[in-house]
Amino acid sequence: MEIQTSKGSTGMVVSVIGKLDAVTASDYEQKLNSLIADGETKFVVDFEKLDYISSAGLRAILATAKRIKAKSGKIVMANVSGTVKEVFDISGFGSIFPMYSSVASALTTVAG
Amino acid sequence: MPESKSIVTRLILVITLFCATIFAGTLGYNYTRSRAILEHELEANARNQALSLANRVERELVSVSKVAEGVARSLETSKHTEAELCGLLRSTLAANPGIYGSGVAYEPYAFSRVERLYGRYYHREDGKSNLIRLEDSYKELPYLYWDWYQIPRELGKSEWSEPYFGEGGGKILMSTCSIPFYDTTAGDKHLRGVVAADISLESLTELISSVRILKTGYAALYSRNGMILSHPQKEAVMNETFFNIAESRHDTTLRELGKKMVRGESGFVLYTSPDGARNWMYYTPIRTTGWTLSVVFPENELLENVRNLSMTMAAMGFGGLIMLSLAVVYIARSITRPLRSLVAVTEIMASGNFDVELPRARSNDEVGTLTNSFQAMATSLKEYVRNLTETTAAKERIESELNLATDIQASLLPRIFPPFPNRKEFEIYASMDPAKEVGGDFYDYFFIDDHKICFLIADVADKGVPAALYMMVAKTLLKSEGQRLGKPELILSCVNNILAADNDSCMFATVFCATLDTRSGEVHFASAGHNPPLLMTSQEIRYLAVRNGVVLGPMPDAVYNSETILLEPGDTLFLYTDGVSEAKNPEQQLYGEARLLQALHEAPNENLSDLIRHIRSEVQRYANGAPQSDDITMLAITYRGSAPED
Repeated sequence: MEIQTSKGSTGMVVSVIGKLDAVTASDYEQKLNSLIADGETKFVVDFEKLDYISSAGLRAILATAKRIKAKSGKIVMANVSGTVKEVFDISGFGSIFPMYSSVASALTTVAG
Repeated sequence: MPESKSIVTRLILVITLFCATIFAGTLGYNYTRSRAILEHELEANARNQALSLANRVERELVSVSKVAEGVARSLETSKHTEAELCGLLRSTLAANPGIYGSGVAYEPYAFSRVERLYGRYYHREDGKSNLIRLEDSYKELPYLYWDWYQIPRELGKSEWSEPYFGEGGGKILMSTCSIPFYDTTAGDKHLRGVVAADISLESLTELISSVRILKTGYAALYSRNGMILSHPQKEAVMNETFFNIAESRHDTTLRELGKKMVRGESGFVLYTSPDGARNWMYYTPIRTTGWTLSVVFPENELLENVRNLSMTMAAMGFGGLIMLSLAVVYIARSITRPLRSLVAVTEIMASGNFDVELPRARSNDEVGTLTNSFQAMATSLKEYVRNLTETTAAKERIESELNLATDIQASLLPRIFPPFPNRKEFEIYASMDPAKEVGGDFYDYFFIDDHKICFLIADVADKGVPAALYMMVAKTLLKSEGQRLGKPELILSCVNNILAADNDSCMFATVFCATLDTRSGEVHFASAGHNPPLLMTSQEIRYLAVRNGVVLGPMPDAVYNSETILLEPGDTLFLYTDGVSEAKNPEQQLYGEARLLQALHEAPNENLSDLIRHIRSEVQRYANGAPQSDDITMLAITYRGSAPED
């Protein structure tokens, strides 16, 4: 699993590549925690290249989202598709996290 | 005793072999060079000895010939009367003890015109001189034809005769020197007569045969014709010539040597005697008489000293090698002994006993360092093993605790089937197989009232001990709220709020909760993020359409919707967790909902336990040895219709 970060116009764009499961979930948490510690508050998570997510991955997303919320920040999802979208739909994550079809539109929302 | 492959053996072999080779090489070189030097010296030495002996012989011979010459000259210069002549001869004899006899013989009528033959000869006998009238003594042949007279007369110069055994008792070896004297009046030379002097060769041969060279070396004297005049083998004297001996030995080199000697050459040769002994010989001519003197040096006696020296050196070398070997053994042992004891100790340690006493380092060298390192290693090994034992004990403790926890958790889930044997309105069967010792999946079923049974299946995020702990809480809450509230949507939202209140870890659970009215077959259900179950009717098997609410735990005040379906008798609801649909094979491919649907079509449906077991084994078969990645939980309930009215 690989995480690529880039500074977007309005917030941090975090691209997750590969699988987010029990093995890689802690890497995701660590990365986001360090970004939060650096002072970032607006996040767009790009799921375009994510192939698979397990309950451990979902938990990591929830935990980091809680931290961001505690810092009065915002986190949205972009390009959620395929099996990952199914999981998100079934688990009702759609009602917790706004999901967008592109990073650009996600960035505009996160600004506001 | 060191084994054949031991360091000791190798060292000894290599060192002694090398030393022996070096020493042998040095000794061999020493021997050959010494030999060469000796042989070189020998020639000079032999020449000197031979020449000095030859000089002695020459001196004797020359002194005699000089005396005879003197007599001859005096006879030439003046006429002598008989008395004068005899007096001269007698005095010559008296003055020269080396001369055995001396005499004069005249040519016919050269002394007296009256007597044709005239000769006077004096020789020693019993201390006195004896006179012999030559014209009287040899009646058969006058002295004119005798060798000692005729040869000098013909040759016109002095002549030494071949040695012969003289007359008059004792058989003395003699040689005669004859010198012609002339009358030189009237311009030309007329032979007047011959002066003769005899010399006994006894003293000469005595001298020569008394020469000792090394042990068996000798000097020998040969005549002009090769006749042996003096030789340590006395029987050969005057019996054998050099050439006889060469013939008898069939030795052509000896014959050639003899020819050279006869020619008056001198030289230094090596020849082999019949018994195989090698001898060095220097031969030199006695110019006066044409004889040859030789000195013989037996080679092995010559080299004896060198050989003895070499033998001594070899013995010393051998002794030295032995001592060297012993020293090597000693030193090598000082290495191998501690090594061997280290090996023994290592073997004891390998069998698990680390408390064995290590040999103390005796020396400050590499072996001592090794011993010390060994000690350090043994100590740290001991420490390591102790840590490992502790860690293993701790791990085993945890494992046993986990096993206990597995039992506790397993006993928590209702396991007795059929759970309500007297309730014929439905059948229910469930199973939970944790991926690790304890799991996060669970199921539950309980009666809310006489006619309503609540059944649920749940999946806590992740797996293992954290999920198991959360599972215990969630299950307890669901049952207690379930029995209190009775409506799936209410149960879920109530439990969600309780869980969300203390949820720092963001753990969550997906739950599918339903109630079945045993009188009507009505099923109310609500789902919190759980995958939809399958409905198996007589016509079809399909996934239920479910409006999912959010997973239980993270979000307080979440809203859940309830839905309703009606079960006909014989219809079955099949609930499962994603451990079934997301089971992976070695190629990391998922089992999937489609396969599950297919498997349910093919499953035996006489009873639910067979059905569930079939799905279980199908999933296992698909996994094909890949490790179970998630808890596999299934619950199936079949409605049989309402009970007959009682």
